[in-house]
Amino acid sequence: MAAGTTDIMTPLWRGVVVFRAITAAFAIIAITVHHDGFARPVLGWVALAGIAVWTVLICLAYSYDPTRRLQMIVIDLLVTLTLMGSSALVLSTEQLTEVAQRTPLLTTVWASGPVVAAAVHSGRVAGALFGVAVAVVDVWARGFFTIDLARDAILLVGTGFVLGLAATAARRASEQLRRLTRAEAATAERERLARSIHDSVVQVLARVRARADQLDGEAGELARLAGEQEIALRCLFAATPPGATGEQDLAGALRLLASSRVEVSVPATAVPLPTADVDELVAVTREALANTARHGGPEAKSWVLVEDLGAEVVLTVRDDGPGVDSGQLVGAQCAGRMGVSGSIRGRVADLGATLTLDTGPGRGTEWEVRLARARPGVAR
Amino acid sequence: MTDSRGDAVTDSRGDAVTDRRGDGRSATRVMVVDDHPIWRDGVARDLGERGFEVVATAVDGAAALRIIAAVRPDVVLMDLHFGSAGPSGADTTRCIIDRWPDIKVLVLSASGAHADVLAAVQGGASGYLMKSASLDELVDAVRRTAEGDAVFTAGLAGLLLGEYRRMALDRERDAPRLTERETEVLRQVAIGHTARQIAEALVISHRTVENHVQSTLRKLQLHNRVELARYAIEHGLTQ
Repeated sequence: MAAGTTDIMTPLWRGVVVFRAITAAFAIIAITVHHDGFARPVLGWVALAGIAVWTVLICLAYSYDPTRRLQMIVIDLLVTLTLMGSSALVLSTEQLTEVAQRTPLLTTVWASGPVVAAAVHSGRVAGALFGVAVAVVDVWARGFFTIDLARDAILLVGTGFVLGLAATAARRASEQLRRLTRAEAATAERERLARSIHDSVVQVLARVRARADQLDGEAGELARLAGEQEIALRCLFAATPPGATGEQDLAGALRLLASSRVEVSVPATAVPLPTADVDELVAVTREALANTARHGGPEAKSWVLVEDLGAEVVLTVRDDGPGVDSGQLVGAQCAGRMGVSGSIRGRVADLGATLTLDTGPGRGTEWEVRLARARPGVAR
Repeated sequence: MTDSRGDAVTDSRGDAVTDRRGDGRSATRVMVVDDHPIWRDGVARDLGERGFEVVATAVDGAAALRIIAAVRPDVVLMDLHFGSAGPSGADTTRCIIDRWPDIKVLVLSASGAHADVLAAVQGGASGYLMKSASLDELVDAVRRTAEGDAVFTAGLAGLLLGEYRRMALDRERDAPRLTERETEVLRQVAIGHTARQIAEALVISHRTVENHVQSTLRKLQLHNRVELARYAIEHGLTQ
């Protein structure tokens, strides 16, 4: 069990232990009170001792061993059912049948202990099943079924079910809290790193990059390479990681694509979209940029623009490469060669967005993707 | 002038006032504000070699504000983040433009912190350049800034578009709006078109394109000043 969940589960298990001890005390008093009427008094004392010893053992186990609880709970159930079933031998026939006068079975409410433990350990289904098991043995020990026994059964099963629900909900809440805390710590650490790297490495690399065009040959090439690293580092720290909400900042994700050949223009505020949409739009942008790199020649530059219109987000990718005759594009698609156009069109169609392609010989290529958004302006 | 971090706190040893009057009176006077020594000294040297007169360097905004009145530069090259406490680059820009409206501020930022760039531009900066820009781009930008032009990069156009749209979406009170033409021009700049290309595409003059671009920046700066003034009056901050 992970450290974080033990934190929330520990008090619940403490509750299980306290409940067990109190119900054991009640069972012992009940046995003492009804002892005179027992068919087998000696066996009654043995059962009393059994309840006392098992309570001590299982409480110690629940308190100190956090690892093998499922086996312990099953063993607990078997021991409890055995003691409960022994009522059939110990109690006299009158005591067993006079349900109206409420002579309880030897184990009385103590028998609900394993139900509570199972619910805390494994949730509502386990809680309810354990409740059924105890109810069945209850009926078997009595040897008949009445409305009173039905009420007991419903209480047992219901308790297991509801407590299981509560335990699962508590565990989930605790895990979520832990995740959020960790994300917060990670963000703080990332910001600290970003500040520190910005003040040192990025400054030097940017300077090297700015000098690149005055250096010749290998030195110039090295300077340009160093410059690429500067852009990559800066963008890495500028991008926001996917949040717990399933939304991500499209602007931050696209800025990772900036390079000396690619300029990315975005608003100062985040452009939140579902993470899956962000991934697809980034993939579309990558394909368009890769296409420029393949066909645009070494000097071609690209620009990426993100606009948040509230109801929709507009992504524009343009290059100043040679451009394509639109007849060629259509021809390529008709010939079954999907190519970049088909791939981008496919992705955009899957997104439910619209695509406009503006290109022509000598005009460069401009892709415009418009994605409608259900909820405008969140996380501003 | 060695490292700046400690100096910036204790003393402004990094603030070197280099007055080289006499031979270069007509040269554009530049002040470089940057906490990073490699940048401060490197940019100062580069600009000096290209015929600018670097009249001062400062390690942070506070140091810049202390000496600016004495050196009266034409253009301030402003970094946005300083390691020291005190005013940020955006705050310093606002102070400079408020007190010396004829001094031009050009933001030179390594950070991708777009919100800070936007704040500096709203505070009156004439434009912004990434530190990764080449020396030729920097020289061109300083020259154009000195002439009173806005240095409009694609990135800045994207930022301004985003800000106008944010104000429209948030239904901000008395927020300036872009005309359709201005929006179109800004979009074209943001996807890398030059003023000449835009002029051709929209069948307008090159000057008209420049005017549209300047107007988008001015409206935003004016709105920002009005908002600040209103805030000051509402909160009783005026003398």
